[in-house]
Amino acid sequence: MAGSTGGAGDRRVVISGMGAVSAAGIGAEKLWAAARDGVSQIRELKTERPYDGRIKIAAQVPDFDPAAYVESNFLPFCDPFTQFSIAAADEAMAQAGYDRDDIAGPRTGVIIGSGIGGMTTIDDGLYFYYKEGIRPDPLSVPRLIPSAAPTTLGMRYSCTGPTFAVGSACSSASQALGIGMQMIRFGLIDKAVVGGAEACVINGTIRAWEALRVLTPDLCRPFSKGRNGMSLGEGAAVFILETLEDAEVRGHTPLCELVGYGTTSDAKDPVRPDVLGSSSAMALALKDAGLEPEDIDYINAHGTATHANDITEADAIGRVFGEYGARVPVSSTKPVHGHALGAGGGLELAITICAMRDQIAPPTINFLEADPKCPIDAIPNVARRIPIRAAMSNSFAFGGINAVLIVRALKGNGADGV
Amino acid sequence: MTENPQEKAKLVDEIIDVIAAEGMVDKSKITPDATIESLDLKSVDIVMILTALEEKFNVYIPMDGSLQEAKDVKSLIEALADHIEKEREKQ
Repeated sequence: MAGSTGGAGDRRVVISGMGAVSAAGIGAEKLWAAARDGVSQIRELKTERPYDGRIKIAAQVPDFDPAAYVESNFLPFCDPFTQFSIAAADEAMAQAGYDRDDIAGPRTGVIIGSGIGGMTTIDDGLYFYYKEGIRPDPLSVPRLIPSAAPTTLGMRYSCTGPTFAVGSACSSASQALGIGMQMIRFGLIDKAVVGGAEACVINGTIRAWEALRVLTPDLCRPFSKGRNGMSLGEGAAVFILETLEDAEVRGHTPLCELVGYGTTSDAKDPVRPDVLGSSSAMALALKDAGLEPEDIDYINAHGTATHANDITEADAIGRVFGEYGARVPVSSTKPVHGHALGAGGGLELAITICAMRDQIAPPTINFLEADPKCPIDAIPNVARRIPIRAAMSNSFAFGGINAVLIVRALKGNGADGV
Repeated sequence: MTENPQEKAKLVDEIIDVIAAEGMVDKSKITPDATIESLDLKSVDIVMILTALEEKFNVYIPMDGSLQEAKDVKSLIEALADHIEKEREKQ
């Protein structure tokens, strides 16, 4: 165990490895390539049972073979959301340079966010029970609980530290990263396996989202004129956090530093976003990072392409970033990987980290024309090569929970650190 | 939009019925110049209205700018009728 555990809150936290499962396939690099090149992974909807709704598109993980990633003793306990988290976590562990048992023990926490948890298990269970009169699978309960993802990861890596799920809808993954970072900073733990996982592109859920009227029947086009909603996505993104000191001692070069986290609650409306809540989360993240608005070179927006979110988010950016708010490059990559809900903030942070590494801001695709109500530079349709030293990733959730993360390049890694 | 004024009038009337029922508003108050605010229609009421229209007309109406920005009954109904017409043409 290296570093202080005295609780001064001054330990620097780095991201040593990351992994992602998304509609772009298995691997963070596939996700990044799709986002950078603006290749949408939203395809014709595939469901096990016939779907009678009207929305026939989604960003689903293609051709996922659980047995290729999950051991046979764990598999019966794993809903797809846990399976995704395992594939992403193993990738993150490998990139962090850790073998299975290297992070074992009470000083490692496991925090994975999910909007719902085992939705496939719930949907299947209810369908077979009510419709077919068949008893639910005996392993339904351990499979569907939202904590199945973090506990299963903990079992596989023998982590016995603080382990829990974050259930904050679309801010789940970002909050999991933020709380993990805080716990390491204050010496409660030394390492954390953090991220988000979601697998709810399934009949019952899509139908419920449809009823809310926030899904586009055609193309997701954030911040653009003519936008009419989002497309559902799924997947998982997992990150290995540790202190900069620990990474240096073992000679590992981290991906970046996780420097800022801000989280607030609107405390106003179940579905309508509020500019005070989102702007205050961004301001808190900047303050936490010790950065000025001008230090942020790229923002990965929440950018759902609903009429209300995008106006509110652009307004919030303007309030926090001032005059620079109209110039700071902002993109939403949701038209590429869909809105992966509880995993969304994780997938988007993985993209943000790659953007900083490669110094390329990914585009907002399907962009038709600027909406005067969204006065930001949305990087329309084509990626942009720019210096990125620090970047922000926004997540705003139904219920009004806002979570904002800021990452910064380390010296000699991508752009020189700030 | 439909070329047939009678059909259009019927559609508008049917939409008004749905707004009255789902928004729980007195039908007589739903006049073209009435504002959404004056009818006390909240975003959740609009969702309920859209859901009812979906079932009645077998269409999907996403919440785009034309609906979000409608300030009065006339523009709301026009936006709804426009969506329904477009969807019908596709069928």
